[in-house]
Amino acid sequence: MVISPVHYIALPLLAAFLMPLLAKVNRELVRIIPGVVLTYLLFVSVVLMQRVTETGQPIIETLAGWQAPWGINLVFSQFTGFLVSLMVFMATLIWIFSYRFKKVDNEPALKYYILFMMLVTGSVGVVLTGDIFNMFVFMEITAIASYSLTSFYRDRDGAEAGFKYLLIGSLASTFMLLAILLLYTQVGTLNMAMIAERMHTVPVGMKVTILILFLTGLGIEAEMFPLNGWAPDAYSQAPSPVGATFAALVVKAGVYSLIRVIFTLFDIQGAYQYLIIMGIITLIIAEFAAMKQTNLKRMLAYSSIGQMGFVLIAFGIGTKEAVFGALFLMFNHAIIKSLLFMSGSFFVYNSTSKDIKGLSGIGKKFPYMGFLFSIGAFAIVGLPPFSGFWSKLYILIAAADESMLALVAIILLVSIVEIVYYFRVVAKLYFGKPTDKEVVHKPTFGGYFSMTVLAVVILLVGFYPDIITGFIHRAADTLLDKGAYISNVLSVGH
Amino acid sequence: MDPILYNKIISVGVYGSAIGLILIGLYAVLVKKHLTKIVIGLSIIDAGVHLLFIAVGFIKGGTAPIFSEKGIELVNQGTAMVDPVPQALVLTAIVIGFGVTAVALSLVIRLYRHHHTARIDHIKSLKW
Amino acid sequence: MNNIVLIILILLAGGVLSFLLNQIKPLLSGVTAFVATVAAAVLFFTGTGTADNFDFVLGGMHLSMGINGYSWIFGALILGFSSLVLLYSISYMKGRDRLGYFYLNFMLSIMAMMGIIFSRDFISLFIFWEIMTWSSFLIVVYQGLSEGRVGIKYMIFSAVGGYSMLLAIVFMKAQMGTVLISDLVSHFSGFAIQQQTMVGILLLITFGVKAAVMPLHVWAPRAYSDSPMSYTSVFSGLLSKMGIFGMGIVLISVFANSSTFGTNTFYISNVLAWLGAITGVMATFYAVIQTDAKKLLAYSSIGQLGYIVMGLAVGTKLSVMAALFLAVVHTIFKGTLFLVVGAVERQTGTTDMTKLGALIRKMPWTFLAALISIIALAGIPPLAGFVGKWMFYESLIVSDHYFLVIMAFLSSTAAFLYCYRFLFGIFLGQEEKEFENVKEAPATMVIPMVLMAALLFVFGVFPGLLFDPIAKGMEVLGMGTVDWSMTVLSNGWGDHVDTMSIISAIGTIFILAFIYLALWNRKRTRYVTTKDIHTSGEIPTENENLTYAVDFYKPFERAIEPVMKRTMDFYYNHLGEGLESFFNFLRRFYTGNGQTYALYVIVFLVILILFSKQIFL
Repeated sequence: MVISPVHYIALPLLAAFLMPLLAKVNRELVRIIPGVVLTYLLFVSVVLMQRVTETGQPIIETLAGWQAPWGINLVFSQFTGFLVSLMVFMATLIWIFSYRFKKVDNEPALKYYILFMMLVTGSVGVVLTGDIFNMFVFMEITAIASYSLTSFYRDRDGAEAGFKYLLIGSLASTFMLLAILLLYTQVGTLNMAMIAERMHTVPVGMKVTILILFLTGLGIEAEMFPLNGWAPDAYSQAPSPVGATFAALVVKAGVYSLIRVIFTLFDIQGAYQYLIIMGIITLIIAEFAAMKQTNLKRMLAYSSIGQMGFVLIAFGIGTKEAVFGALFLMFNHAIIKSLLFMSGSFFVYNSTSKDIKGLSGIGKKFPYMGFLFSIGAFAIVGLPPFSGFWSKLYILIAAADESMLALVAIILLVSIVEIVYYFRVVAKLYFGKPTDKEVVHKPTFGGYFSMTVLAVVILLVGFYPDIITGFIHRAADTLLDKGAYISNVLSVGH
Repeated sequence: MDPILYNKIISVGVYGSAIGLILIGLYAVLVKKHLTKIVIGLSIIDAGVHLLFIAVGFIKGGTAPIFSEKGIELVNQGTAMVDPVPQALVLTAIVIGFGVTAVALSLVIRLYRHHHTARIDHIKSLKW
Repeated sequence: MNNIVLIILILLAGGVLSFLLNQIKPLLSGVTAFVATVAAAVLFFTGTGTADNFDFVLGGMHLSMGINGYSWIFGALILGFSSLVLLYSISYMKGRDRLGYFYLNFMLSIMAMMGIIFSRDFISLFIFWEIMTWSSFLIVVYQGLSEGRVGIKYMIFSAVGGYSMLLAIVFMKAQMGTVLISDLVSHFSGFAIQQQTMVGILLLITFGVKAAVMPLHVWAPRAYSDSPMSYTSVFSGLLSKMGIFGMGIVLISVFANSSTFGTNTFYISNVLAWLGAITGVMATFYAVIQTDAKKLLAYSSIGQLGYIVMGLAVGTKLSVMAALFLAVVHTIFKGTLFLVVGAVERQTGTTDMTKLGALIRKMPWTFLAALISIIALAGIPPLAGFVGKWMFYESLIVSDHYFLVIMAFLSSTAAFLYCYRFLFGIFLGQEEKEFENVKEAPATMVIPMVLMAALLFVFGVFPGLLFDPIAKGMEVLGMGTVDWSMTVLSNGWGDHVDTMSIISAIGTIFILAFIYLALWNRKRTRYVTTKDIHTSGEIPTENENLTYAVDFYKPFERAIEPVMKRTMDFYYNHLGEGLESFFNFLRRFYTGNGQTYALYVIVFLVILILFSKQIFL
């Protein structure tokens, strides 16, 4: 079999649909197959990334034999490849984590994994596709899987969170659909490279209207303020591995699409300032709201939103260094927030309530978990020598290069708030008076394994960022080189 | 009737009703408190958008975009084909809308079971 | 391999090892930490020279580490002092839980401090700075006192400090393209005056937080007193000196290239000198009214650091020399005092001076160490504190800072009060029943204390031993050559003070007094218990206080009451509460009603469309 980017979409989707049948054969297959598929995709990522890095050219796969701009194509460039590899890596770790996850017991395991594989398909597809409508479709696949996973526990709050997510998510898809429609009437194509090429022919008023529709629709997925009302609920009510998945895959897909639209499709300078301003507001409000949270997962959710605001700011600065920092931060956020969700879930799981107060002294019972959570907390607030520090540093340097010192100061002030609430939890975990509750649920081996891997990555990148910066630099260059994207996609088959 | 005027009336009618549907749907989503009505509102918005899609692709007097013998003959005679892409898109969008509505309704049922109410402003145990 | 890297690695490995070995046997943990630090110290004293450096590229940035005369002073201080403290710590920490955690963070702090003094660029300085911050935070919360509030306060101030450095760093990087400290020194004159002010203030905030300069000091007293004492001695003795280390670079090397107004030095220096003076006075006042020995020492530490900052900020050759001399000596005596308190705490279980008393007979060696350190702290000859204070006052007078001299005199006079109280409250006074069976601390704890006390004596007699490295360090900072002599202090008016003659004079008096008391006067003394109180025929009533330890300085407290009424802490707490309620108000945006969220989306869209021209074009 020839390794191609199509596997990213075809295999998880196939697995998702085959699983109900295979479950009849052997229940254990349901748990194993996603892992097999994801491990294979990890292998695909390694091979393709190597190929792409060697040639410096993107791999463009046309589907059903139709050339661009007529057919749908998949673009595995150094930029999309980086994101897809990150997503697959995280999905694999999340699969290991949730393997034999206590709460996902036998019967729902099937549903859980079907939805999980659909979610992987969707978010990977969003990044890979070169067709705007196809992107919409993948977005919806992701969204439907996310709605269902949010309310997976069938409890009261899960359903509520799921419904809010669905309500806002449907509006997002409506706006995106409208935007695509208007775009199609103006440029007559759905291929993103072609759209980008023809964008200058669109009248300015129309262009801005389309952009606004896109920004609103995609801003919802990217958790931009004030469109992010659904996010804290969804994060805090979804099962913990799903919380990690949201942070690692779904939001990344949302931010990717937003960035693709602004950077590649449109050529409106105001959009960059818009990103900075909305990013700042998102960052500030989310971090402030996180400050007084009593629910640990909700606190993590707000922190996640804040980080996305930070990412948007960095993209908004728009220079090569800033985009590099933003991609680095996306990488860090995926890894660190997953670690926090995973380790935090065990604390919540083993305490009487979801409250931070109930976590008092729990780190003494789970010293290793506490250690991992602390690494995550230190990394996400950007303390050296953890990986979060470098992305923060690069973004700040990029901002200062554009002489946006006020922006730097704002970010740093907000970071102090971030430090306060994270360190409050860390101090409580370790040094509060322990509550008298027996240890009930130890993490599974898979849980330990995936969390350890994440912690090792955090430390490794923290101590020696150069192992990853090469990829990210090339990814940033690829994203910014709009001309190359257009010519590469359109030249296939000619 | 004057064909230009006719065209205008048709297009104003189609576009107007599509936008009208969207607005009605939005009204339901934003104002109605009942969960089911909100879901219906979402469906109406979807319907409006779909109609808009079809309207955009429509060409008066155009033929179906099928490469049959008759179709090619018509094209050769100078008859335009209706743009097939929006129709394909609408098909996909309808399927997606169907899926979303199904999930939404199941969530409404579950919410009702837990809260014994279907008023959205009474379901806010998650806030701040 | 390069010795600089090796030292860092040894310390890091020591920390990790002691963490792991704790799982096998807790005692090994402390021993490993001690051995690793000693190994690093040996390597440092024998194997490193100013030629060593280590350049590397990390994350696309050119970073550099090395050592010079200035950082050598601090490096020697860190490794020498922490070796002794870790020896002490083995017995002190015995029997506590999670020793591995404690020693890991202890070693990380030491490693971070060594990293800081090795750093020749701001990025690695910042990295090590933050490692130092969080590792010390983890030790502050280690004992679980006060629900982590103290730790959070410490972390907030440290974060303010750390981030202001980061802001300065990104500014430098944008302006000059590099982050080397030497480049900042040479480029500084090229900055506009506002930029100079900004960079200066930002960096001084960073270092001021660690050096606990007013108004950034509020974290310090509780953070010092909440940590285990063996760490507090490092905390107050070394971590705070990192602030001094940085201030030295900024105030002297960097500001030497600042724009000047006439003949005055850069105005920030003057402000800082005054802040240092106020810190000195206020902290001393606070120290006097404390009843807890730990807090007394904590405030005293802050006060002493105020002097040092003042000395650096004044910036003449003599004052800088005095400041650095005081910095070294302060580490030794204040470190010893914290260790003394630790020993007392371990043997008696309390550090409350109103409860303790008369430990002089039970813990004579500890008393000896405390006595010598207190004498040094008070600045009485022939101990090292005297030399520092002498030079310090002289430098202030010579450079016409008369008001600062008054402040310094005020605080050092008040310092006598708490010095006396410390000695009296713990070691003298009346014997309490509950402390009848108290024993002297184990030898591994006594030896470091006595050794350091001896060092104070040596430096008092031969201050030149310290002048030598300090003079070299000052040359590195760009102050030119500095004259010094091994035992003679000379001043601007031509007076000479020979420490040898001081020591012989004091020694003679001391021996004569000893002979008088011990031999000649011996027969006329009789032993009385400390509870043998004579009330001159009046019968004391119930509410009359017969123990001196309570309300020790009541009149003094009453005198300074108006000054104490509003503390900085009060304002910070109000600010914090105000911000928190503001945050609480903000998050009401997330009402919980899904429909409201949908409304937000639509309103947002409408606003964007209405103002699309202004926003996007």
